[in-house]
Amino acid sequence: MSGSDPISREEALQRLNELYAEEIEAGLRYLHLSVSLKGLDRLMIRKVLLENMEETFEHAQQVGEKMMQLGASPSLSLQLELPAERADGRSALRTAVLFERAALDAYRELLERVDGGDDVVLEEFARAQVALESQHVAEIELLLED
Amino acid sequence: MHDWREFDQNPVSHSAAHHLVAIAELLDAYGYARVSDVARELGITRGSVSVTLKGLKGRGLVTEDERRFLGLSEDGERIARGVMAKKQVLKALFVDLLGVPDEQADLDTCKIEHLVSDETASRASRALLFLRSGAREAEAFTEALREFGRAGDPAGFPSEEVEELAREIAREGEEAEEER
Repeated sequence: MSGSDPISREEALQRLNELYAEEIEAGLRYLHLSVSLKGLDRLMIRKVLLENMEETFEHAQQVGEKMMQLGASPSLSLQLELPAERADGRSALRTAVLFERAALDAYRELLERVDGGDDVVLEEFARAQVALESQHVAEIELLLED
Repeated sequence: MHDWREFDQNPVSHSAAHHLVAIAELLDAYGYARVSDVARELGITRGSVSVTLKGLKGRGLVTEDERRFLGLSEDGERIARGVMAKKQVLKALFVDLLGVPDEQADLDTCKIEHLVSDETASRASRALLFLRSGAREAEAFTEALREFGRAGDPAGFPSEEVEELAREIAREGEEAEEER
């Protein structure tokens, strides 16, 4: 589902639907991480995780709206297992950076596919999301620095 | 005593086994595997794959190069190939011997492929090799079993007949235990 051919409407919608699932799942992961924090990190890191959760759900909403504008509607099927474990702040952030990078990669791939194509609105949307997700990842990586 | 605790001693969880097998199958088919490929193969999010792979990389089962292409370590490859072989053997046994429909056999083996011990898988392989050997006894056995099966009623489980059979098997087990 990639290559130099112009992106079809079906492929664009499939990629957007995948992103919709990425964002909602990431939001749930943030919530789970925030309540699973232990120690003093509960005071410092929980706020960051909950803010990220809100932003992530906002992104999901934006992706869903984009699909609606394209004449489709998003579907959602998640297979999510979140273990019962108490996490310290660093470990929670290390997990967060994994799924944030995954979402960033997915937006980057979408941008590559729509870059220079006919759908300027979708291209700008993908570009804006890449910028936002890059910022997200960079901020978490900064928090993880010694 | 129920041996449910053995589930926890399995080398990999159900989800982890699927990740290892997906990587092996992608490497076989395309020569490369990325997080996005594994996610599409398994029908889950990239985030989920990334989080699971973190654990598998930590255990030395999965590798990732600087271009973020995935690979399997020797141990990872051995586990993946083992799970794939168990699935094929058990599925064929369910279909060939028991007459289970292909799709159902696929679903059922998916649930147990990573849980079945090497010993049971080896014995199942021997049974399948015998059934497929072309030996007259094997053909006669398969045919007789199918004939017997046709007379039964597969609707509803367990039937009274099956419950009685289960009780009989349990009794035999207890008697054998007492004799020992």
